[in-house]
Amino acid sequence: MIEAQGLTKRYGDKLAVDNVSFTVQPGRVTGFLGPNGAGKSTTMRMAVGLDHPTGGTITVNGKPFAEHTAPLREVGALLEAKAVHTGRSATNHLRGLAATHGISRKRVDEVIEMTGLHAVAGKRVGGFSLGMGQRLGIAAAMLGDPRTLILDEPVNGLDPEGVKWVRTLVRYLADEGRTIFLSSHLMSEMAITADELIVIGRGKILTQGPVQEIIDSSTRASVRVRSPQASDLAARLQRDGVTVTSVEESLLDIAGLTAPEIGEAAASAGIVLHELTPQRASLEDAFMTLTADEVEYHSADVAHSEGALQ
Amino acid sequence: MTAAATSHRADPLESAHLSFARVLRSEWIKFTTVRSTPWTIGVTILAMVGIALLGAISLAATADMVASGEIPADAGVPDFGPRDGTEMLNLGWIFGQIVITVLGVLTITGEYSTGQIRSTLAAVPTRLPVLWAKALLVAVVAFVTGLVSVAISYAATLPILDPHGAVPDLGDGETIRVLLGVPLYLTMIALFALGIGALLRHAAAGISAVLGLLLMLPLLGQFITVEWFQDIAEYFPMSAGSMITTYATDGPHLSPWEGFGVLAIYVVVIMAAAAVLLRRRDA
Repeated sequence: MIEAQGLTKRYGDKLAVDNVSFTVQPGRVTGFLGPNGAGKSTTMRMAVGLDHPTGGTITVNGKPFAEHTAPLREVGALLEAKAVHTGRSATNHLRGLAATHGISRKRVDEVIEMTGLHAVAGKRVGGFSLGMGQRLGIAAAMLGDPRTLILDEPVNGLDPEGVKWVRTLVRYLADEGRTIFLSSHLMSEMAITADELIVIGRGKILTQGPVQEIIDSSTRASVRVRSPQASDLAARLQRDGVTVTSVEESLLDIAGLTAPEIGEAAASAGIVLHELTPQRASLEDAFMTLTADEVEYHSADVAHSEGALQ
Repeated sequence: MTAAATSHRADPLESAHLSFARVLRSEWIKFTTVRSTPWTIGVTILAMVGIALLGAISLAATADMVASGEIPADAGVPDFGPRDGTEMLNLGWIFGQIVITVLGVLTITGEYSTGQIRSTLAAVPTRLPVLWAKALLVAVVAFVTGLVSVAISYAATLPILDPHGAVPDLGDGETIRVLLGVPLYLTMIALFALGIGALLRHAAAGISAVLGLLLMLPLLGQFITVEWFQDIAEYFPMSAGSMITTYATDGPHLSPWEGFGVLAIYVVVIMAAAAVLLRRRDA
């Protein structure tokens, strides 16, 4: 269990984390979602005592992290790939960490095996790919068989097999009753992996709750309608609670009506439909809606950039 | 690579917890598993023995020239004795301190430059045991390296110094102090370097700062002749600390042990500052 109360972190005049409160429950996979620079990593670093909060508190399993007598048994953290001396082999890196807690060489070999690193365990970490670095970070996090796992962007740089493995692993660990807190800026990944979501933007919590609830509350389902008489149809459907957006000349995006309702309305008016597709709102859409004003680094839209290039 | 492998809750993990001895063991593993460690230690010993040999050879050459009349007997060259031999074989610390500085600084800054420090401090969130373990480690390694260098130097220069009656007299208490002064001095330099490295958290900055403080200050003393600067000159880290590696003279105000004490005070102050900042700063 991870509990943050009024957690705040200020770097100079920049407020990285702004009065954030949340609880990460055991037995669930909790996703920490936000655009780059939103404060995810800073929050996670404060959870394991690497950064000191400017205000508020964050505790892990009931205590500030540093007060645990066996920190690696409480929290395994992957905070960045390759937080490792480049001149040391993977095995020796893990041996060094394990030694702080008197964890046996046998356990070191177990986590190497578990993360599929056995083939490269004796090689210097400096030559590792990002994906291997991630696996080594996860191996280090698993050393103490911890009750809580904090994983910052764990699937970054992993191949599809690795991504699937991380998903399976965190699901399994959560089902064992452990607390799993993982961050990502990839909403699609969260939709598959997480049970609960905490969405953060510019250091503030935008929303938190079960994944499906967040999708439902942040987006409206819509129906895509293609028709040669699109403007006719639009005029007939306009009423309170219905939003009709003209995507292109013969294509409408209609929110507030179900596909059967639209189909029946079109039939009764004798309007021809070429397409009638219910659009399922994705977490991606929910995320874009939630963070529209909170993204730190906006990109210019592509059409605009292209114009600038000409 | 199956998730099922994680279900294995190994019993030995039940006794897993932090202790200083374990942190020390961890630091030892880290220290011995990077290539720079054997290199720096090897280079230190080789250079120190090499310098001792050069010193002994030049002593022997001078003595030969006096004996053959090439240097007139009234030229002011004193008769060489065991103490001259001791000082010749002891010269190695001048180079040894440079390599030991690199070792001390890299022990901590190597973790900052690679990001390793975050893995280390996430495992030992109280942080200070890491600093004390590193301090104990570099101190012992510097002492042993210095001791081994002096021992090999003694053996290597023996055949050169013996014909001139300049072999160090190991029955003389002050000679023993002078010879042990080299490992003692290098021990303090290792801690000095570790502390500065912990404060600056950057290898190049740390090494420059330590060598600047050690070597540049006394160099300045040769050019800046104003009285107050000359008065403080013997309190500079290297000037004060290295007195332990030579026989006491009438000149300076500090005795060898007092000089060593001055260096120890610098080390204590720097390590205390490093400890406070290690606790306070974000990693």
